[in-house]
Amino acid sequence: MNDSSSGKPSAKKKRNLPGMPDPDAEVIALSPKTLMATNRFICEICSKGFQRDQNLQLHRRGHNLPWKLKQRSSKDIKKRVYVCPEPSCVHHDPSRALGDLTGIKKHFCRKHGEKKWKCDKCSKKYAVQSDWKAHLKICGTKEYKCDCGTLFSRRDSFITHRAFCDALAEETAKVQTPAAPCSDDEDPKVEGEAPPEVLPPPPPPPAPAPPLPPAALVSSVLPVQSPEFRETPSPRAPHILDESPAISNSNSSSNGSSSSNVFASLFASTTSEPMSLGLAMNQGSSIFAQDRRQYAQAPQPAMSATALLQKAAQMGPTASNASLLRGLGIMSSSSSSSQQIEPEGASLAAGLGLGLGLTRDGGSGLKELMLGTPSVFGPKHTTTLDLLGLGMAASGGSSGGLSALMTSINSALDVGEFGNKDMR
Amino acid sequence: MAEKDSNKIHHLLWMLNELSSPYGDCDQKLASYFLQALFCKATDSGHRCYKTLISIAEKSHSFDSIRKLILKFQEVSPWTTFGHVASNGAMLEALEGEPKLHIIDISNTLCTQWPTFLEALATRNDDTPHLKLTIVVTTSIVKSVMKEIAPRMEKFARLMGVPFEFNVMSGLNRLGELTKESLGVKEDEAVAVNCIGALRRVDVEERKGIVQMIKSLRPKVVTIVEEEADFSSLRNDFVDCFEECLRFYTIYFDMLEESFPPTSNEKLMLEKECSRSIVRVLACDDEIDHGGYSERREKGTQWSQRLQESCFSPVSYSEDVVDDVKALLKRYRAGWSLSIPTTDDSGIYLRWKDQPVIWGSVWKP
Repeated sequence: MNDSSSGKPSAKKKRNLPGMPDPDAEVIALSPKTLMATNRFICEICSKGFQRDQNLQLHRRGHNLPWKLKQRSSKDIKKRVYVCPEPSCVHHDPSRALGDLTGIKKHFCRKHGEKKWKCDKCSKKYAVQSDWKAHLKICGTKEYKCDCGTLFSRRDSFITHRAFCDALAEETAKVQTPAAPCSDDEDPKVEGEAPPEVLPPPPPPPAPAPPLPPAALVSSVLPVQSPEFRETPSPRAPHILDESPAISNSNSSSNGSSSSNVFASLFASTTSEPMSLGLAMNQGSSIFAQDRRQYAQAPQPAMSATALLQKAAQMGPTASNASLLRGLGIMSSSSSSSQQIEPEGASLAAGLGLGLGLTRDGGSGLKELMLGTPSVFGPKHTTTLDLLGLGMAASGGSSGGLSALMTSINSALDVGEFGNKDMR
Repeated sequence: MAEKDSNKIHHLLWMLNELSSPYGDCDQKLASYFLQALFCKATDSGHRCYKTLISIAEKSHSFDSIRKLILKFQEVSPWTTFGHVASNGAMLEALEGEPKLHIIDISNTLCTQWPTFLEALATRNDDTPHLKLTIVVTTSIVKSVMKEIAPRMEKFARLMGVPFEFNVMSGLNRLGELTKESLGVKEDEAVAVNCIGALRRVDVEERKGIVQMIKSLRPKVVTIVEEEADFSSLRNDFVDCFEECLRFYTIYFDMLEESFPPTSNEKLMLEKECSRSIVRVLACDDEIDHGGYSERREKGTQWSQRLQESCFSPVSYSEDVVDDVKALLKRYRAGWSLSIPTTDDSGIYLRWKDQPVIWGSVWKP
């Protein structure tokens, strides 16, 4: 219940209409000290403190001490509202007072208080102990999944990865590309050929001429596509766009730029089988994400409750709705998509190793002959690590904010769908 | 070797050659790379060898391979993330409340530090400030991939809702060439200078100059992170320098060995990077310019002295930042720890198996 975070007010207003209290209500302005004072009412037997006398009286009953509860007659009941003591706060104004004492206390703590409760695992801090406790229960249980398929247990790793991932970088290109053949993710051998004229490759290498074997595969395999996916042909520009020009470079590797050299040397020396395998997988998964977006299924909030995506949800249609939606879409997808990614990482790693080995052989008289070999064993390990994710996760919002978060995501989905229709 | 006994050298190199392998265990790898440097030293071919190694690295690195390498390294080891978390925390605190930030990053670290910084800026309670990020790039490998990184950073900042201006200065060959004027610092900007592994690239003689230049920018905060080794004061004594170099890289290789799976391409690439540094430190003449790759590391205390000589004063990391760093270390495997010297407040150390390996510090003029 982060009062001031944008994107949430719509959800909040429905609930308790903050800032429109009953005009007859008595406005209570407590000093920060009184507000923060906990346990002013102390039990003389066990020294337990209470915030309100009423609670102490109830407690005294347990000690068999004399107790007295104020009995208020109906005419005594007067609605009270509370203002925040912080003058710069919107809730300082009586017209935006909050309806209950606990509410204003928590608000004051959260927004203007010191965050003294800190999670040991992720170092996220909370001003209110109950928020912190709620966080402790879920810290480390969440996973973050990029729409490239990589899983993260740690929020900071996820954020860094997200900024660098092609899935984010290629968004603009993706939403503008027309429908293209797509492949079913169930068949790892499938290789889709991207139409050269829609390629927006970031480093433009010369002469796009896709190699023959994958192209041949395409023609024989395309009909296998799942009909479900055919219904809504989605725009796409998967990672293959980056790589296929590099493949073509293998024939003229001498003029290859440094950015395509790794792949070039890989292809100059080996069959294209491992690579095309990787690409096909990769492609399958991104298609999957796209289609998920088209159907705009409700995401699982537990998986997607990250500040990153929240933020994206607030951005409106101008920025990267598509990216957010793709992110959410793949997050709600089945676990099988994480397996699809394995070969991608694997072939890439292998590519790096082989490429490195080759260049080094040619380039110097050093003893690098063996360099390529270990990479054969490399992929399994690297991907395993990826999937396990290592360490502990960072946190998202507290559980209190979940409903608000869902609302913001849902509204973003709506916007996204709308934007999508516009584009088609 | 210092005694120039060629027979003995010949014999020893031969023995080392028998023992070493870049694919063996840690000792064999170290032997292999140090042998390479010794061989270069003995044959006076260090410069040529170094240039070859650099050009190999340039040819074999693509944006994809570098990205994968760096992100993987961050996953398995706090070697780089330690500096990122500490520096980002210090900068966020020092720049709090400023409406216009200008961060000058001379680190050559491919911007992997900035996504989390942007996210932290965006999720802070106060109004999100305008951020101008000026990346000064001097190493050729980084230059070649910056055009890939720039749009990613801009896109990410937009996604985060941070008003953002991203500049890359890639015209320089050495940090020593950097001038105050070229950075375009404006009056109303709160400046921070971020130097992660940056100062060691500057030639030893130019270090004072660059520190002065940074000072002339009148930054609110300067964050400095360096690897804890002394290849600088010992550089005229080959044996001492060799021993220090071996000490440092023994720790580093041990760390890599335990952080990565046994056969990892990323590990191999990082080891190759070391092999370049080792040749550079042990077998190359400092007189020859190597295009912004001086590898003369200094220890935290030496850097502190330099900075204090230029009238910088140390700023301690706040308790919060230290907690953040501690939390970071908990996510990695056992063996990492943090040490905070109590004698003065110039910096904290990341330790691997109780050996300080990275020094992080915050300064203000």
